[in-house]
Amino acid sequence: MSTHTPQSRPWALKVSGLGRIYGDPSPASLTGTGPEHGTAVSPSTGAVVAAWDVSFEVAPGEALGIIGESGSGKSTVMRCIAGDEAATTGGIALRSVADGTVNLCDLLPSARRRLRLKDIAAVYQDPAAGLNLDVTAGGNIADPLTAVGWRSYDGIRQRAAELLERVEVPLSRMDDLVRTFSGGMRQRVQIAKALANDPPVLLLDEPTTGLDASVAAGVLDLLRGLLEETGVAAVVVSHDFGVIDMLTRRVLVMKHGRVVESGLTDQLLEDPQHPYSQQLVAAARG
Amino acid sequence: MNTLSPTRTGTGASRAGALAGPDPRPGIFDELSKRELRRAMLSGIAIPGYQVPYGSREMPVARGWGSGGLQATLSLVCDEDQLKVIDQGEDAGVNASNLRRLITEHTGAGEETDTRAADIIQSRHRIPEQPLTDGQILVLQVPNAEPLFRIVQEMDEQRRMHAEADYAKMWVWLYEDIVHNGLITAAAGYPVLVEGRYVMTPSPIPRWDVPKMNDSDAITILSAGREKRLFAVPPHTRVVPLTFDDRPFEVEYTPGTACRLCGSDDTYLVEEPGENGAPGTWSCSDTDFCTRRRTGDAPADVAGQPVELARAALRRATREQEETS
Amino acid sequence: MTTVTPVQTPVRPGTPAHVPGVPGDTVLSVRGLRKDFTLHTIDGRTVDALHGVDLDVRPGEHVALAGTSGAGKSTLLRCVYRTYLTGSGHIWFRTAGGELLDVAALPDADAAELRGQEIGYVSQFLRPQPRRSVISIVASAGVARGMGRADAREAAAAALRQVAIAEHLWDTHATVLSGGQKQRVNIAAGTIAPPRLLLLDEPVSALDPANRAAVLDLIARLEETGTAVLSVFHDLDAIERLATRVVVLGGGQVLATGAPGEILHDPNLPLEVAR
Repeated sequence: MSTHTPQSRPWALKVSGLGRIYGDPSPASLTGTGPEHGTAVSPSTGAVVAAWDVSFEVAPGEALGIIGESGSGKSTVMRCIAGDEAATTGGIALRSVADGTVNLCDLLPSARRRLRLKDIAAVYQDPAAGLNLDVTAGGNIADPLTAVGWRSYDGIRQRAAELLERVEVPLSRMDDLVRTFSGGMRQRVQIAKALANDPPVLLLDEPTTGLDASVAAGVLDLLRGLLEETGVAAVVVSHDFGVIDMLTRRVLVMKHGRVVESGLTDQLLEDPQHPYSQQLVAAARG
Repeated sequence: MNTLSPTRTGTGASRAGALAGPDPRPGIFDELSKRELRRAMLSGIAIPGYQVPYGSREMPVARGWGSGGLQATLSLVCDEDQLKVIDQGEDAGVNASNLRRLITEHTGAGEETDTRAADIIQSRHRIPEQPLTDGQILVLQVPNAEPLFRIVQEMDEQRRMHAEADYAKMWVWLYEDIVHNGLITAAAGYPVLVEGRYVMTPSPIPRWDVPKMNDSDAITILSAGREKRLFAVPPHTRVVPLTFDDRPFEVEYTPGTACRLCGSDDTYLVEEPGENGAPGTWSCSDTDFCTRRRTGDAPADVAGQPVELARAALRRATREQEETS
Repeated sequence: MTTVTPVQTPVRPGTPAHVPGVPGDTVLSVRGLRKDFTLHTIDGRTVDALHGVDLDVRPGEHVALAGTSGAGKSTLLRCVYRTYLTGSGHIWFRTAGGELLDVAALPDADAAELRGQEIGYVSQFLRPQPRRSVISIVASAGVARGMGRADAREAAAAALRQVAIAEHLWDTHATVLSGGQKQRVNIAAGTIAPPRLLLLDEPVSALDPANRAAVLDLIARLEETGTAVLSVFHDLDAIERLATRVVVLGGGQVLATGAPGEILHDPNLPLEVAR
């Protein structure tokens, strides 16, 4: 039979009905929150509905964007998928884990962390969140490799060199502490580390925010090339339409914890439907 | 439960004393605490390499000066036991003598220097060269129980890493050591993997002694009084020093040296500086073994045969040199 | 011109093989297409663009859209490419596998896949991706249509020669190219491994006469591959030369349809085109 129907599209990551509430998780907290109320804070319970009813699938080789301003919940969604924080409700499944039949939210924290070795990798806006700055570039890449059992020093160095080459970090800097690296270079090392074990799913949280424009452009180029070549399924979280436009094929727009619109990235830029999306696009267009 | 002391029956307060077993000797360690230590040791033996917490008591030695080893030994030793205590391989050192005397005077155990005859051997820096046998217990004083202390500072994170056997950061640390220094420089307390599960520090023994822990006939108890934790290696347990497959574990060795007293070149040797700038001389660190080697009363092979590792490393180095020239 | 068999997309279960009113031989059948824009940032006003457009394009056919500025030509192309969402109506697209899909109602992920493999789009506005070598831009378009990497690179070289991009520019970044060169790179990318349906939105508007001729040649030869073309040109010469049929739009509706010879010389039709 077909593998092509919407129902059986070969997704690598599937998120369904994801929600994250800080504070009282009862349904009462939902009332009066969301874009139509202009707030994510429940008027009755004071809980913050950081994300609610977020669902999407990402296919291998596909990049999905999540765009929204700060506080829209986009980073919360990413952190829930990464396992950095626990979702209040909903399902997260990876094709690589029991063929997608396991809800990652049901796993123990330890099992959840183990997924970060091979099944899912994250690149954070702040390289210090994903790297040990007092370890060499090679040593940072050695971390995920040794974690999955690499025990050959020369083998690790060879793999680290390959990865650094791929992210265009000069090999002469492999044995320098990451602390001595520029922001763009640190971000490249973080990307190399994330790719070390060829994860099928890659999460990118504002990967170029805070970098100088020219440096950010270089990192974006690199990411676009890697997304094309590796066949990884990527989720790109950004407040910047330029980043989303360059890296993703489809996009979700979030506001006050809810998805207000989703579509093909160029369609969202050319023909946004929701008033908030139109406002975002208008702002991005200057 | 043993006999109850006639002076300790009846009242609720004395019931605890009754549970503690035999009438305590007047002295330095109460029976309830000994029982706590023994339970902790049994837990440690059940989970090789796992750090078991215990309530460390005040001892007549300062914490960090063997109080952990002292509590373990006091909890284990019986009247009929022979006790050996060494400091840097030597029975006659000041610390060793004092600890040995302290224990024997408070327990009735006999003082012993011959490793073969000792039931319990307490040590800080060395494991005897004499292969230990079934029934013997080696008590090591551990100044720093946590092998991860150099890698992460947060104790919660250290515990999590042990619980999940997540030792990648330890491997990164070894990797970085080779990058910066060309080799793994960890000397005393070289990290080992116990029975394929827990990473453990083997106390500040030299690398030379690490192979002796693997598949030993004896029980090893490692106790840290200051950190209030102990861990154990039961007999015939795999103890493997952490290293990369292509960077074999090496021990301390100076080619061409031998003990000036007994002539051994397969024991752990320490250098004594020469007088007036003359070249230093070498002698066995393990004085008991050295004495017996001289009288022909020692086995041909020392425990663990670490010299074989040293010789293999030498052969590798020579081969590499030939290949490059 | 390199011919590549398009990737065979399997037939979707439940996809109708026939839809009443849709001929069996078209690649594209637009039915009752309506599109308007609600501008929330400008007092919520609504702008009408298309009011019920019907249109068919068959394999090997080149249908040119004509009409005055604002007639809805580009809007129609963008609806077909799904850059615009359709208000109502259907955009039936027949895949290489014979299934009939309504682009207007297709899930985003399926629409994206269709674009990679079966529908191409070349616009005067489409910027080539910056900081990327010219040849890799063209080659990756081939890879997206199912070519192997080595084949795609070879085909990209051929396509670049075709549009007269000098070989010493192939490894430079597209940003350093002139406007006309960029547009030719877009065309090379759009026509490598020709898709079943190619949408052209004023693809030669920025080109000088010599390059314009080269690109028109290239488009003319697409017919040999069976590619169906739906185009917007701003000059009558190009339409007359390339189109097999002309559809005149006005006020968001089809005003007339017929052979270029008849339509282009009808003085009663609103054609805002340069001679």
